Amino acid sequence: MRKKRGEILIENIIFIILNLVFFGILVLFLINQGSGSIFLEKFYAKQVALLIDSSSPGTVMKLNMEEPMKVAEKNGITFDQIVKINGTEVTVSLKDKSSYSYSFFNDVKINKYTEDVYYIFVIEEKV
Amino acid sequence: MNKKADGKIISIYWFIILVVVAGGVFLMVSLYYSSPYDVRDIEADLLSEKIANCISYQGDLNSNLISDAGIFKEAFIDHFLDECDININPVGQWEKPQYYFEVNFYKFEDSRAIILNISEGDINFKSDCEIKDKKYENLVVCSKKEFYTRGFGENVYLIKILSVVRKTEQNVK
Repeated sequence: MRKKRGEILIENIIFIILNLVFFGILVLFLINQGSGSIFLEKFYAKQVALLIDSSSPGTVMKLNMEEPMKVAEKNGITFDQIVKINGTEVTVSLKDKSSYSYSFFNDVKINKYTEDVYYIFVIEEKV
Repeated sequence: MNKKADGKIISIYWFIILVVVAGGVFLMVSLYYSSPYDVRDIEADLLSEKIANCISYQGDLNSNLISDAGIFKEAFIDHFLDECDININPVGQWEKPQYYFEVNFYKFEDSRAIILNISEGDINFKSDCEIKDKKYENLVVCSKKEFYTRGFGENVYLIKILSVVRKTEQNVK
């Protein structure tokens, strides 16, 4: 009688643990998908390009980049290396040997610097 | 003994359900995150807005575009991209321009006859705007805008702007 009760208890515990492991993996998968470096690279490259397109000389834009900063730091990329602007193309890199570029049409001079978790873009007229 | 066997069968079914649910979640999430955001409609609108702001300011036609005698200035038209701070040259992965825009000027009295046309970029994209076929509807995104503006003297002009953005590979799966 004692042995039987013990078996039922162990089976139940294993069942519960397996369920928890299963749901844990599912939740981790969902979190990883939303904060994956490839997804964030695309998202921020397009966002910065559209912000530049919508701006005019004299505009100062402050963009909170806390989420990509955390991902980049995990991958050994410093905060000020995340966003690069070359001509009319924005490149966001959160991982070594991985980046995403998106072009913009607004022909302006862009100065950028970082402050805390923010990227600050200063838009000036091209001389 | 039977109860124990029943319990095992229920557990197996439970795990089969879990695997099916997880498979569904995995599939949906993967599909959602792997398909790119299509931002071309915003981009096309921004391009139209940029052109409109360059041509007309506070309801008056840009004085660099039209002379006091009411004549459109060739210098401004010839260097339209530079004058309006627009750069549509292909960069990065692109070998050809990914934009096309067209600005048509009409007199207020006659909105059929084009009196001035300015266009830049790849003209082939213009015909893609008319495609209704679902298979090809994502080839380009087009934005159309029109407004009235005052010119020299009492002249009023109707301006129609068409902006087209391609960048299909970056915005459509």
